[in-house]
Formats: sequence, C-alpha cells, structure tokens
Amino acid sequence: MARRLTLWRWVVLGLAALYFLVPLAASVIFTVDVPGHGVTFDAYSRILSTEGFVSSLLLSLELAVATIAVVLLLMVPAVVALRLGAPRLRPVVEVVCSLPLVVPPIAFVAGIVNVLKWGPEHLSRTPLFQTFTAIQDEDFPVVLVLAYVVMALPFVYRALDAGLRAVDVRTLVEAARSCGAGWPQALLRAVLPNLRGALMNAAFLTLALVLGEFTVAQLLGFRPFAVWIYNIGGSQAQMSVAVSVLSLLVTWALLLALAGAGGGRARTASSRG
Amino acid sequence: MTHMTVTTLEKATQEKAATVEFRSLRREFGTTVALDGLDLTVRPGEFLALLGPSGCGKTTALRMLAGFEHPDSGAVLVDGEDVTHVPAHRRDAGMVFQSYSLFPHLNALDNVAFGLRMRKVRTAERRARAAELLELVGLGDKGERYPHQLSGGQQQRIALARALALRPRVLLLDEPLSALDAKVRLSLREEIRRLQQELGITTLFVTHDQEEALSVADRVAVMRAGRLEQCAEPAELYGRPATAFVAEFVGTMSRIPGELKDGTVEVLGQRLPADGEVPDGPVDVLVRPEAVHVHADERGDARVVATAFLGAVVRVTVRLADGTEAKADLPAHQAAGLGAGAAVGVSLPERPVLVAERIQK
Amino acid sequence: MTAALPRADVAPVASAKRRRRAPGWLAVLPLLVFTAIAFGLPAVAIVDGAFTVKDATTGAAGYTGANLTASLQGPYLTALLGSVKLSAVSAVLGVLLGLPLAQAVAGSRSRALREAVLTASGVLANFGGVPLAFAFVATLGNAGVLTMHLGLKDSGWNLYSFWGLVLVYLYFLIPLMVLTITPALDGLRTQWREAALNNGATGAQYWRHVALPVLAPSLLGGLVLLFGSAFAAYATAAAMVGSAVPLVTLQIADALSGNVLVGQENVALALSLDMVLVAGLVMAVYLPLQRRSARWLDA
Repeated sequence: MARRLTLWRWVVLGLAALYFLVPLAASVIFTVDVPGHGVTFDAYSRILSTEGFVSSLLLSLELAVATIAVVLLLMVPAVVALRLGAPRLRPVVEVVCSLPLVVPPIAFVAGIVNVLKWGPEHLSRTPLFQTFTAIQDEDFPVVLVLAYVVMALPFVYRALDAGLRAVDVRTLVEAARSCGAGWPQALLRAVLPNLRGALMNAAFLTLALVLGEFTVAQLLGFRPFAVWIYNIGGSQAQMSVAVSVLSLLVTWALLLALAGAGGGRARTASSRG
Repeated sequence: MTHMTVTTLEKATQEKAATVEFRSLRREFGTTVALDGLDLTVRPGEFLALLGPSGCGKTTALRMLAGFEHPDSGAVLVDGEDVTHVPAHRRDAGMVFQSYSLFPHLNALDNVAFGLRMRKVRTAERRARAAELLELVGLGDKGERYPHQLSGGQQQRIALARALALRPRVLLLDEPLSALDAKVRLSLREEIRRLQQELGITTLFVTHDQEEALSVADRVAVMRAGRLEQCAEPAELYGRPATAFVAEFVGTMSRIPGELKDGTVEVLGQRLPADGEVPDGPVDVLVRPEAVHVHADERGDARVVATAFLGAVVRVTVRLADGTEAKADLPAHQAAGLGAGAAVGVSLPERPVLVAERIQK
Repeated sequence: MTAALPRADVAPVASAKRRRRAPGWLAVLPLLVFTAIAFGLPAVAIVDGAFTVKDATTGAAGYTGANLTASLQGPYLTALLGSVKLSAVSAVLGVLLGLPLAQAVAGSRSRALREAVLTASGVLANFGGVPLAFAFVATLGNAGVLTMHLGLKDSGWNLYSFWGLVLVYLYFLIPLMVLTITPALDGLRTQWREAALNNGATGAQYWRHVALPVLAPSLLGGLVLLFGSAFAAYATAAAMVGSAVPLVTLQIADALSGNVLVGQENVALALSLDMVLVAGLVMAVYLPLQRRSARWLDA
C-alpha cells in the first residue's frame, strides 16, 4: 500500500512539473532557436541596448521602493497599535485592508481615470489643479504609487499580522519598558527586530506586485516595466519572451535571496540576544 | 435507565472478552529500536496499563494492536487468532487517542455513531445506540454539541463512547488523560475504570504517569527500551520491584551506598539481608521514602537539606555523610522540628532491602 | 477569534488608563486618511460615474440608471457572462488539479520537496500578467515551439480561445490553490484518519466522510478565491487574445481608452460597478467559510 501511495505521489508531481516547466523551457527554446537564424543569443544580448528597457525598469524599481516605504510607514504603526492600545480598531483596519480585494484593478483604474478627469473639469481654477498635474508627472507618476499602495494593503496586512501573531508584542514592550526603555526605544529595539521576517515578506510581496503590475499603469498611460514588455511584444517577439523569462528568474532569485537574508539575520539576531 | 443500558452492554461484551498476546514483537524506525522483542499476554477482561518513559515502545505496541503500525517480526494475537496482517479498519479494537481525535464537522452524537454509519447501520438504529452510549459516559444531554463547544474532558468521554460503539473485543487507551487538567484527569480515570469493570472488556492503557497506572490497572507492565521489564499487580510492582529500573520508575526511590557481602549488605551502620542479583562489593541500596527513618540527633552526621509538605506526611530530603541524598516521609508531627540544616540520624527498618549495582555519580 | 481574545483582557486596562487610547487612534489615523483619499475617491468616482450620463451637446450631467442597464445588455452582457464562465471553469479546474498536488506535497515527509513546491507556488501565483501570456504564446501560440514541433495547428489547436485562456489561467490558479489549501491539509490530524479506520472506515470512506467534509470550507474558500482572481485578471488576457474572447475586463479597457465608441466611459464605470458587486459577493461567501475552516483546523 505504501508503494502505491508513493507511485501516486510521483505521478502527480511529475505531471505538475511537466505543466509548469514546459512553458518555461519552450520559452527559452523560442528565444534562442530562431527560425532561419539557427541558435542565437541575440534576443538576450540586445535587451540592455533596447530603447526603453533601462528607463522602464528603473521607473518600476523607483515606484516599488516608494510604494514599499509608504505602505510600511502606514501599516506598521497601525498593526502594532492594534496589538498594544487599540484592539477595538481591529475590525476597522481589517475591513479597510480587505476592501481593495473587492475592487478589481481594472475597476479601480476606471475610478481613478474618472477622478483625474475632475481636475480639468471642476478644479482648473484652483490650486488643487496643480496637485492633479503633479501626481501625473511622466517621470515619476505619484498616482501609481497611491494606487499600488492601495493594492498592496491586503497582502501587507496579512504578512504583518501573521508576523505579529508569532510575537507577543505586549509582553515585549512591557519587558523593554521595565528594563528602562522609553516607548520609541521599546518599539525600535524590541518590536521591530522581531518583525524583520514579516517586514521582508511584506516588502517582497509589494515588490513583486509593483514589478508585474500592468493594468493600472497601461490604462493611465505610463510606461513602467510590464507595459514596456507588452509594447515590444508586437515588434520583437523573441525579445519580449526573453524578458518575460528573465523577469520570472529575477523574481525567483529575489525570493531565494530574501529567504537566505532572512535566515541569516535571524541567526545573528539570536546570537546577539 | 443508565444502569439498564450498562447491563445490556455488559452482556454484549462480556461473552467475548478477549485474550491479547504480543509475541516477540520487533520494530525499528530507522536507527532507533522501538520494540526489541516484546512478549506480553493480556488476560480476558483485564485492565492492563503499559507504563514507561517516553520512547520505551509502549505506544508502538498499542498501535500495533490497533493496526496502525506493523511489526518487522513477531505477531499480535487476539483470542489466539493472528491479526498481524489484518488492516486497521477490521481490527475490532476501539481506541481512544491522546486528544483532538473527534471529527470537528460532526456533533457528539454523529461522532459516536460514525462507526455504525460505516457499517451501514440504519439511521434510527445507530442514533439510538449512540444516544445510549452518550448516556453511558454521562453526556446524554450533549449530543447536539460540536467538539469545539465541549471541554477537553467531555471530548475524551465522547471519544470513549465512540470507541465502544462497535462493541469491540479490546479497548485501547493511548494516554487519553494527558491533555486534561489535574482534577478532570482524576475523575475521568475513575470513570474509565468503573466503565471497564462494568463492561468487562479487555483494556490496554498506555501512560507515562506511574500514579495513574498503579491506581486504575489490574496489572501494570513496565517497559523500557522496547522490552518488558516487569508485569505485575500494582502492589507487587511497588513493594517488590524486579529490577532497579522498575524500582526507580515506579514511586520514589533513594539510592544509599552500601557494601554487599555473602547476601547481606552493610548500610548506614546496619547489616541487612539483601535482595537482588548483584556480585559482592560496593552496591546501592534502594529504599522507599516511607521506609527511611529520620530522627533529630545532635551528633548525627546527616543534615536536612529541604522539606516539602505533602499533607499527611512531610517529605524530608537529607544529605548523608558521604554526600548522597535520600528522601524520607515523616508524619507531619514528627517533622515539626526538622528545618533545613538540622542534624539528624538516618536508619532503615530491619527488613530485607533491594540492592543494585553502584551508579557512579 | 484572535480579535476577541486580546479585546477581552485589554478592556479593563484600557478603561483604567484611558490616556493610552489616544496613541492607538493616532497610529491608525494616517492609514484611514490615506485609504479614504487613495481608495475612497476612486470608489466614489465609480459609483458616481456609473449613474451619470452626460448630454453630448449641452455637456449637462444628470443621474440615471441607463448606464447600468446598458452594461447588462448586448455585447457588455456577453462579456460579463464570458468572464463569469471563464472564471468559473478555471476556478473549478484549479481546485480539482490543485488539491491532489497539494496533497502530494502535504502528505510527503520530505521537507525539501515541500519547501520547493511552496516557494515555487509563491512565485508562480504572482506570475500572472504579461510575462505569463508571452511565455504561453512562445509555447503554444501560432508560432509557438510546441505548436510547430507537434504540428498542433493541423489538429485545430488555437491558444487564443476560451480553452486556451483556461490553460494559461491555470498556470497561476493552481499554485494559488496549492498555497491556499496546504495549510488546511496540514490541519488534518492523523488522529482523525486513525480514528476513522479504528471505527471501521476504509481509506476511501475516510476521505468521503471525514477529510473532504472537514476540508469543504477551505475548498469552497479556495474556489471563490480562484474565481475572484480569474475574474479580475486583465493583463494576461489583454496580452494574449486582444478581444478574441469577450471578457468584461477587456470591455472596460476598450471603453476607457475610447477604442470602440467615444463617450462610453460611463458604461465602463457601470461595468466596473458590476465587477465590484460580483467580487463583493465572492468575498461575502469567502470570509465566513474562511472563519469556519479556521475554527475546525486550528483548534
């Protein structure tokens, strides 16, 4: 019976591996084995020099950094406060952080487009109009950061909440305070170090979300990384697939690096304390 | 009503109270030997406790009887019939697990009726039988409750009812009390014993708590490293332990150094007859706290280290001249003047004592 | 439930030291203000726009239900139903295929296998969008590697179709299912299986009468989660099929960018509202299921 179970397990895993690996392998073959040209790594070597690659990737990374900073600044104090002083607010925060799940990105962006139209229509003679223009700056569209922060809220909330569940924040703070630490010190020195894993997790999820985000950016007319891939897809099929494969590999590498870094930090933290 | 139910159940089970035999069971998990040739026979209708430290193989033995583990060699027999290769769902042995074994999506009644449902017993009939069993464990009014609405003790009672639902030939209890708090433990173990006696069902009870084993079982089998050390009635196990391991695992035991020569042992300035197969020379004498006499003595070379009030008696820990510590139980009034640091004299009653090889500390 | 516990033991403290509540509110306030602006404004704009029509000649705006009515008719209705059908089929398949995969991992003793599959699922569940579409185009598109080498074209294969989309969606839905259901499978206690066998159930009976009923809330929860995820997906479909398969997300995008008809923005908002209602329904089903499953499996 044990053997039958093992066999069943390997069949399932084998089929899954087939389904998930074949498109990746085929994509790699597609990029290097160009009909009429034989095997060539052109698609990869030309990526860097292609117009728009560097600028769009940089834009996406800048957006990601800004989004991570804003979302953590908003969420960390809120979730810590929920554990410490304001548990009554938990349902409020929970609902606020789940709402974005109810509004699909395409609907969200439709709403944003409508809001942005209010600028020229109703506010053109007020100072608010300048704000509306400023947040739509091509070089750094703040409006995307606002949208991405909203879209990241559910994931970040879950990651931080899971992290906090494993830590008894109240006791930590009380212990730190009884050792003579002030409130800010207690939070910085006792709580945050214990949340490192959760913070990394939240940051990674946000990073993945921003790097891959296409819907909002495209419909608002900006050109971060995902939109760039989409745009070159029409003219340079090989390269667009090559970039797609690379983006998956990069995501994977980031995840592994984060897991490694998280583990390493945890070790140093425990040896210190 | 309750009593009538019990008698009908009693008839149903007593006729087929079964003998259980473990024959040279062996089982290895990787490099660890869980069972190293276990031989044990459980008599019909007997309540037998399997006692031992964790990892001694007692749970493995029980799970082999239930069919969840399979021996590398050896056999399990029920009423002389080899069941070693019978799959778990046809074993005819009801089992109560450590905890959390009730199905969370079924209420108490349906949990108890689960086995009958698997046997395709008609709904009305199985509900009636399940209600009867709930009545039997004193939870007749809780049939509609779900596991998460019940206390730990109630959950284990229902698990007990469920284990009895198919009128099994053997009842298996795998540390069913270990997750409960002290008071519930005490009352539930008495109730399990009462039920077992009324039903007359052959029962195996795995526990690491020696007090629990001694207080409820007809016989206690002490296991160590996959083997049986001793299987005897509680009084015999306590009073005449067969090995040093049993002596120290069951009850409290102090080791006092002595010198063995020609069947007698020189200990604490006394010469006493010795039990135990040990070569002459330095030995340890094993003594129970109630067998150690301690009296205040200005010139005594032993000192009181600590005292602990246990109700009727006070347990006094003394350090002997050579540095070994021994425990003695004194009636509370005798211990009154013995604070920490008091000089005392220590003696043993003039009775044969158990000796074991000296353990270097 | 976790919310109730701290609340119970904190209540007296909070009333005794009323002073402490102020920082609690203050720490949560920025989040609330931010969402009120960044999320609240667009949300209001959706509802407002969905009920507004603008007279093309005078420019005067008025409130009406006409947009919503329009969004439930003709090609819009087709697209809405197309999205529901695609999401439902993908979600059901995702659950049916994800469950055995998760069980193969959860039931295995190998920690390495488990870590590898869960990590990969974490990456793949987020690997939606444009890159995924292009990877499949390269594999099974008209000039795709498999299409060419296996001669699929002659047998009538077309990636840019309903079933093509299902195949692609499963690529991120199955990992999502694995991530969702693995904790529930881990929550199945071995004692339940043993207790079932002990009560005379066979392995199959255990799955039918114990494991599946206990997993049911998680499975249903996974189903609606997958449905919601497929329903909201836009990038993959946009990069793959253009508008070969009618989907509500594609319709909204077309209407927003004025591809079809000028002045359809408000119908786009009405369609968005339709989507929000469907997604809201999904969440309303999902959350109670999630809670029940947590109660059964975490106790």
